[in-house]
Order: sequence, then C-alpha cells, then structure tokens
Amino acid sequence: MLKYIALKGLLAILVAFTASLAAFLLLNVASDPAQAIAGEDATPDVVETIRIRYGLDRPVYERYLSWLAGVATGDFGESYYWHKPVAELVADRADETLTLALSALFVTILIAVPLGALAGLNPNSWIDRAALGVAVSAQAIPNFWLGLIMIILFAVMIPIFPVSGDNTWYHFVLPAIVLGASSVPAVMRLTRTGLIEVMGADYIRTARAKGFRGNALLRRHALRNAILPVISVLAVQLGQKFGGSVITESIFAINGLGRLALESILGADIPTVQMLIFVFAIVFVAMNLLADILNAALDPRIRIG
Amino acid sequence: MQFQKILRRAVLSAAVLGASSAAFAGSEDDTLRVAMAEEILNLDYNYTTKREYIILAQLTDAKLFEFDPDTQDVLPSVATSYEWVDDTTLDVVLRSDVQFHDASPLTARDVAYSYNWLRSAESESNATGVVERWLENAEVIAPDRVRFHMTAVYPLVLRDMSSRIMLRKEGTYDAGGEINRDAMASDLISTGPYRVESFEPGTELVLKRFDGYFGDAPAIETIVVRNIPDIGTQQAEMMSGGIDWVFKVPEDVATAADAHPDVDFLSGPDLRIGFLVLDAGGWSDPEGPMTKVKVRQAVNHALNTEEIAQYLMGGSSQAIHTACHPAQFGCDQSVTRYGYDPERAKALLAEAGYPDGFPLDLWAYRDKPVSEAIAANLTAVGIDVNLRYVKLESLNQARAARDIPVYFGTWGSGGTADTAAIARIHFADGDRNLSRDAALTEMILAAEQTADPDKRKALYTKALGRIADQAYWAPLMSYTANYLVASDLDFPLSPDGLPRLQNARWK
Repeated sequence: MLKYIALKGLLAILVAFTASLAAFLLLNVASDPAQAIAGEDATPDVVETIRIRYGLDRPVYERYLSWLAGVATGDFGESYYWHKPVAELVADRADETLTLALSALFVTILIAVPLGALAGLNPNSWIDRAALGVAVSAQAIPNFWLGLIMIILFAVMIPIFPVSGDNTWYHFVLPAIVLGASSVPAVMRLTRTGLIEVMGADYIRTARAKGFRGNALLRRHALRNAILPVISVLAVQLGQKFGGSVITESIFAINGLGRLALESILGADIPTVQMLIFVFAIVFVAMNLLADILNAALDPRIRIG
Repeated sequence: MQFQKILRRAVLSAAVLGASSAAFAGSEDDTLRVAMAEEILNLDYNYTTKREYIILAQLTDAKLFEFDPDTQDVLPSVATSYEWVDDTTLDVVLRSDVQFHDASPLTARDVAYSYNWLRSAESESNATGVVERWLENAEVIAPDRVRFHMTAVYPLVLRDMSSRIMLRKEGTYDAGGEINRDAMASDLISTGPYRVESFEPGTELVLKRFDGYFGDAPAIETIVVRNIPDIGTQQAEMMSGGIDWVFKVPEDVATAADAHPDVDFLSGPDLRIGFLVLDAGGWSDPEGPMTKVKVRQAVNHALNTEEIAQYLMGGSSQAIHTACHPAQFGCDQSVTRYGYDPERAKALLAEAGYPDGFPLDLWAYRDKPVSEAIAANLTAVGIDVNLRYVKLESLNQARAARDIPVYFGTWGSGGTADTAAIARIHFADGDRNLSRDAALTEMILAAEQTADPDKRKALYTKALGRIADQAYWAPLMSYTANYLVASDLDFPLSPDGLPRLQNARWK
C-alpha cells in the first residue's frame, strides 16, 4: 500500500512538471507577457521596461530552468501582477475554491443520489427515464449559460440570492448548483446501477424474509452497499471541481483559484499559471489516489499495490 | 486566517438574512457602486498603465495641474501658477493647503522628490518614459516653489504634469535607502478627493471622500469598486441594483439593459480611433502595391467608414478622415478627405497598374466585425484580401519584423487630447511608422519642440495634410464609450472619453 501511494505521489509530481512545462512553452509562444502586462496602448519603452523588470528578456529555457531551480527550494516565484509570492497568492484563494468545490459536491449528492435511487428502484420505467433525462440535461447545459440563467431567475427576477461575490454562504448557493450540476449524471447512474445490482442480491432477499420493506430496507441494507462505489467517484469529482471552477468563478465573481487561473492565463502571468497547474495536477492525482484507497477500504475484496 | 474568513462569512450571511434588497440602492447610503472587469491590483498609477487605473487615479490623486476636457485648458490644482524662466526652465508655485491622506502637508520637497524619482533609472516606473523625454531634474527653490530643468523644449510638459505624474511623499519609494516600488500599491497615501478606506486586491476597493482635500468636495461620499469579470454578470448586477455604474459595455448588451427602468445606457465619445496603416515605405516588399500612392488612395476610397461607424461601432462612433481624433489639439479637419467611392477606387487601382487587383495580407487583432467589413470593402474593389486576425502580440512581432503590408490598428492616446499623443509614436519613433517619410517625421518632432500653440497647430496641419495627401493611413472611425448607469445617478460625460467619477452625483 505504501509503495503504491509513493508511486502515485511520484506520478503526481511528474504530471505536474509535464503540465507546467507545456503551459510555460505555450504561454511564451502564444503571447508576449511584457505586452500583456503593459496593455494595448503601452509605448515600446514601457513594454521594454517591464520586460527587463521581470527578466522576460532572458531566453525561454533559461527562465524555465530558473523556475525549476526555485521550485526545488520551495520558491514558486512572484506574480507579475500581484507582486507577491504565488504560493501565498494561491493559499489566499484556495479556501474560496474549496468552499465552492465542496458545496458543488454537496449539491451533486443532493440531486444525484435520490434520483439514482428512484431510477434504481424502478428500472426501465418512466421514472427511470425521467431521472436520466434530468441528469443528462444537467450535464449537457454549459456552465456559463446555466450560471446566467440562475442569476436571472434567482437573483434578478426573484431576488433571493446575490448576483455575484463571495462574502457570505448565500453567495455560494447558485455557483454550487451550477458547478454541481455537471457531475449529477455520473453519480446518478452509478447509484442506479449499484442499487439494481444490490436489490437482486441474496442478503436483500434475506432482509425481505426478515420483514424489512420500503424505506427501512432501502436505507439500512440496499443503499448503504449500493453507494460504496459512488464514494470513490465523488473523490474524483472533487478533483474535477477544482479544475472546473474557472468558468463558474468568473461568472459569479468568486475570487478563487479558477478565476485566478483565467486572469493569469489572459494576462500571461506565467509564475501564477505554473503554480496553479502544479496545484491542479496534484489535487487531481491525489483525489484519484484517494478514490483507490477508499475503494480498497470499503470493499475488502479489492487490493491495491 | 482561514478560520477568520469562515467566521466573517458566517457573520455576513447572518447580516444578509436581515437585510432587504433595498439596501443595495446606492443613493440611499450615498455609495456609488462601480464594477470593473479588470482586476484592480495596484493603486499607484506611477506603476500602472491601463484605463481602469487612470480612472482610479482621478479619484485618489491630485496632480500639479488639472486638464479641462471641455476647453482643453490646463487649470491650477496642487500648483497655483507657473512661470517660464526660459524655454527649458519652468517654475511652479504650489498651494500651501494641500494635505496627504494621512493629514501631513505636501511640501515642495515632496513634489521635487516625486519627479526626480520617476526620472531616475532605479524607479522603473511606467511613467519614466514620459518624464525622461523632457525632465533633467526638479529643484526646490523656495518652500512653495519647484523649478523644473528640462532637457529640451517640450510643449506638453503641463499636460504631462496634469495626467501622468502622481505626487508622493519624499522617501516613499526609497526610505532608508531600500527601494520599494510597491510602497503605494495597496496602502496609497496621496492628495486626491478620495482616500482609500479599504482595499482587497482583485476583489474590492472602497474609497471615502477625503475631508482634507483642498479642492471642491465630490458630491458622493463613498465609491466602492468591485471586480466583476463577466459582462453578463455586470448587467445582472445593474438590473438587480447591486451596482450603479459600469463601463466598456458592448453596444448590444447596453441596448438590452437600457430597457430596464432602473438602468440608463449612456454613450459618449472616446479618444480611441481605428485606422489602417499602409506600408508606404515598402518595408514588407520594396516593390509592393502599397508603395504606390494611387493604391493607397484607392484603399481610402474603398472603405465605407460611415457605415462601419454607424452600424458596427454604434453609439457615439463617427467616421474620421484624419490621422488623429477630431477632439485632439492640432487635429486639423481641413485635410484631404477620401469619400466612399468604390468605382473611383477601381479606377485608381487600374491607373496604378493593378486593374485586376492584387493579393493582400490584412492584419488585425481586435473588433473582428470591423476587420471583416474592411476586408469585404477591399475585396469589392478587386483586392484579394487574406484577413490575418491574430493576437496583439503576434501582430506586434510581425510588425517589428517589418512583415506587414497593411494592419488595422487603434490608438487611445492615453486619454490625451493632443495630436502629439498619437503622431509621434506612429510617424516618428519605432516600428509603427511605415511611411519612411523623413520630412514628415521632422515636422512631427518639430511640433513637439515648439512651445507656441499657433505654431504647433500650423506644423500639425502641415504634417496631417501630408499624411492625408500621401494616404499613409486609411483613417476609419472614432470609438464610442458605452456606460450603464443607475437611473438615479447623474454621470456627466467628458469629451475626451475619460470617465470622471468624482463629478458624478445623485439626481
């Protein structure tokens, strides 16, 4: 087990470095960071001043190697825009994204598990089809569109939630619904499949013979086992929520890592983009690892390593 | 720290429960709520360049002089008067009642320090390029007087003093010999009509009216600037009463939002203009079609600038025929005007030896519908246009490599209503000048070194006339500044297109 975790950890670091190298090269090829920082109407002398100030006049490979050397000592560099260490910047913004990701996951569970249970208890019925329709629609609607529709409905026409910002818990309700919607089908279908499988199992027959019926049977015997694979999928979904927060955070003006990533890419703030890619890659691999460990812990038949 | 954030969020959530939506209304708590798409990260305009920062600097900083956009006069501000000792020596007399936001008085030493710091190489300021054009050094000659020694005659010195150089306390950036260029980035202490109450970079800036301001007090007590990146969200905030003012609004969004009873759509002028720069100098091809004046004139005749301005730009956009904005000092409108005449364009192409047109790479980086309309207009007269719509950085690189026969450029002149702010960069210095016309460059530089306004105007008339006659450019249109404002807000528009929130008041 420990060997497996160590291997996965190494993989995470390799993925993070590969992604950061690709991002570094792409950002340098696709844009001129000095021009991006200076703005459209900056005169050549201002652009040149900025180029020298941030060391952007050095060759690309030299700058990447110097970034790598910094990372080796725990220094991820300083943001071109924020003028502070990117590690500090990312730490400042992480809790907004974590709040959003966890809230979105909660929304996913709230919608997907009951829908999946309904569908699983009534396989191939109109209820099953309707539940699947709702779930697939939630995934098919683009985030930016759903976000604006939610704002118009529940912040402008029926003003029960704020339009944008991240000051209070209420500010996270609409974004969580928007971000959580895309994970509903995966969780819902897994719940449905698990429940169909479990409902045909011997121990359920035994439970029925003992007199368990309805909700008691569902809660105490069926759902508890059917939901096991869902838990590991949720871990993966949480990793995806981190990366998927870019659009949602921008629409709802939430100052999290997603919005920081978007602004940094548009502004060619290379040190910040590098760090964010590093963080996203590690979170994603870590969540996958967590899913594997949870699977093994919840189902003794599974062995990892 | 994370716990504090969570606690704050919980407390605010409870507060929101008890609050009604009416609490958002700006006029009731005398708070003007503004949204900007650009993240505000640095409050020190000596170290920033973008439009948003110019708007904020109007609120937080008082300069030596103020520029009146209506009359184009330079008015007293921190300085009460000035006197030219000779062509390159300027004495400025200061007010005695100017305070910084921390209530300390502004002195002549502070003024001299600010200018000398920005002039110095170690400042690495975004204003250094402007200051080093003319300033040798600033010297305190009396408790209320500063003498500016200049390197050359420079007629825009008062305009630069009224726009680009922010005043700081002596030692702000290099206290104790240690350089800190971010000293004013967050905790700004300046002399303007608003002081910084709180600032969370990238999120929210709260400005309060500064009671110690020496000038007329602004009507609105508090201005809150929020960063909202998405224009759709900004629109929704306007409609729900969450914000009172937003700018850079696309025409279609502004028109749609205008239907809401609490939102007004205002459209004002903007100093930005759009134009085609033609490679008359043959940088990309010494024998290329653009080296022939008749071809360049044909390009001018081929473009339906009136309709581009009216239908594609909308708002206050106007067709232009000069290599400057009509509102800029020295932008003489009497120069040659090429009307939209495709038949004349075809005839000129034939006369130039291109009866069947020629292949042309047209480079562009913004306003795609306009770029496509230009391409369509040129195609209609027989030119085989290949529209290369790229990122600004790519266009800049290709231009630096002298590989562009024609590009669609725009220029905002940094909000400076003077032809000098557009002429020098496009017809004198650097790779933007594709004309290769030494005589023209001489005129432009001569105008910049002429103090007498009438003589400057005459020089610009001559230069702009030459640009038009030689058709070095195909001027297109002025841009429009679109705003959405709360219907209870009186927001006066400025002719130079710079939003001055300090002049806003509730109706």
